[in-house]
Amino acid sequence: MFNYRSFALRKLASIGPKYLPFADVATEEVPLSRLLRLSLFQVTVGMALVLLVGTLNRVMIVELAVPASIVAIMLALPLLFAPLRTLIGYKSDTHVSALGLRRAPYIWKGTLYQFGGFAIMPFALLVLSGYGEAVDAPRWIGIGSAALAFLLVGAGLHMVQTVGLALATDLVEDEDQPKVVGLMYVMLLFGMVGSALIFGTLLENYTPGRLIQVIQGCAVTTVSLNMFAMWKQEARDRTRAAQMLEARHEKFEVAMRNLIKRPTMKRLLLVIGLGTFGYGMADVLLEPYGGQALGLSVAQTTKLTALLAGGTLLGFGYASHVLGQGGSPTRLGRTGALIGIPGFAAVILSSLGGGVLMFLVGTFLTGLGAGLFGHATLTATMRAAPKGQIGMALGTWGAVQATCAGIAVALAGIVRDVMLSASGPAGIAAHAPYNMVFMIEIVMLALAVMVAVPLGLGIKDSRSQTAGARSVTGTDQKSVEVS
Amino acid sequence: MSDDPDKVWPTGLTLREAEEVHSYLIDGTRVFGVIALLAHILVAVSTPWLG
Repeated sequence: MFNYRSFALRKLASIGPKYLPFADVATEEVPLSRLLRLSLFQVTVGMALVLLVGTLNRVMIVELAVPASIVAIMLALPLLFAPLRTLIGYKSDTHVSALGLRRAPYIWKGTLYQFGGFAIMPFALLVLSGYGEAVDAPRWIGIGSAALAFLLVGAGLHMVQTVGLALATDLVEDEDQPKVVGLMYVMLLFGMVGSALIFGTLLENYTPGRLIQVIQGCAVTTVSLNMFAMWKQEARDRTRAAQMLEARHEKFEVAMRNLIKRPTMKRLLLVIGLGTFGYGMADVLLEPYGGQALGLSVAQTTKLTALLAGGTLLGFGYASHVLGQGGSPTRLGRTGALIGIPGFAAVILSSLGGGVLMFLVGTFLTGLGAGLFGHATLTATMRAAPKGQIGMALGTWGAVQATCAGIAVALAGIVRDVMLSASGPAGIAAHAPYNMVFMIEIVMLALAVMVAVPLGLGIKDSRSQTAGARSVTGTDQKSVEVS
Repeated sequence: MSDDPDKVWPTGLTLREAEEVHSYLIDGTRVFGVIALLAHILVAVSTPWLG
């Protein structure tokens, strides 16, 4: 008699591996299409960032009439998780898995949290704004659930980005890293710009139903894109699983202290913090500055954003090119910070009689500088990461970068508001508060350049060693690189 | 079948591996369940149904 059971099981076994989300072998060469697919997780990160900082910021205040102070607190919540990125990276470095996976479980968990946050967010916001019967509901339900939603999205997004970048670093050889970093940044920018346009169009005629659709659509897109990005990226590895079981890792505090103790690390992190802070403050102010100080229309200021993004893209492209040919990332990062100084100077001068053209040039320069700086410093971090601690090094990068960017955006708004309210009815010129912020940015960038000077020299020395090492072998490179 | 008693047939995974895959499924279901419950409560607060 025909044995159906064994037939079915044999069939099942033969199709098994093809449909498993883990690659069976760690391929030597990772094709560009696979990297492109992996970089999709950055699109979801960009989407979440835009939704939180841009879209919901406006919707909560304008359409839902939530008090501005509560909105500010809610939007700051995801920032609380930024410093925890180091811990997330450390956890994924030391993860013990029978499948030999280190990154995939954390990307999956992060995606779950992001999805969960988005799934409850629209309802939480509606309850918070007292929509329908929720007027009579106790206040803490709305505030608590909205806070939970924002926390979940924030935790998920930091997790996905940190571990995703670590996975990308794992996958490629050292000399390909600049290419990958460029790709990751472009996808982040693409996700942010694209989703900002889409959210803007979809929410033009706001209804509560539309808000639910948009945010939950965002949730579904996040899960699908992340699954697609993760599919078959990390290899299942029994030998690594066996190693994981036996490996004894140093405690987090010890690992952290050792990482910071590395010769260039502290300085590099300081540069990243200062530079990100310098460029971050301008992000939210360039558009209103163009409108209020120079009298540009809304359509014109939107084109301004395109100019800024164009400059940034050019910066990424140039950085990928230069670093791919073996240029020093720290020197390029210093150049990136340096370009911002004349850029912001031009922006300031434009309101003091320089005119619109000056403003456009300044905007483009700051975009270019930000692109170069971001790319170069991330590449520098990847290169400086010790072999077993890639996740932790990138987590530290992300913690510094995200925290500084978040504080910069918040502080830029506060400084401007304080200056505006202090000016009184007689008032100072419309451009004065903005120029104040731009001045702070110039100072920050100048500090970043100054801190980076000895760093560039140190790395240059070790790079000349690397050039020798590169021709010999590809695998030991990392240990040489950080000497 | 397999000569390795530790392997779970027909997937070819070991017992520990199979348990790990299973744990992802269970964790995912739990998180999704809690999220769905929470979302339903919030919807019920703003637009009550069944009453």
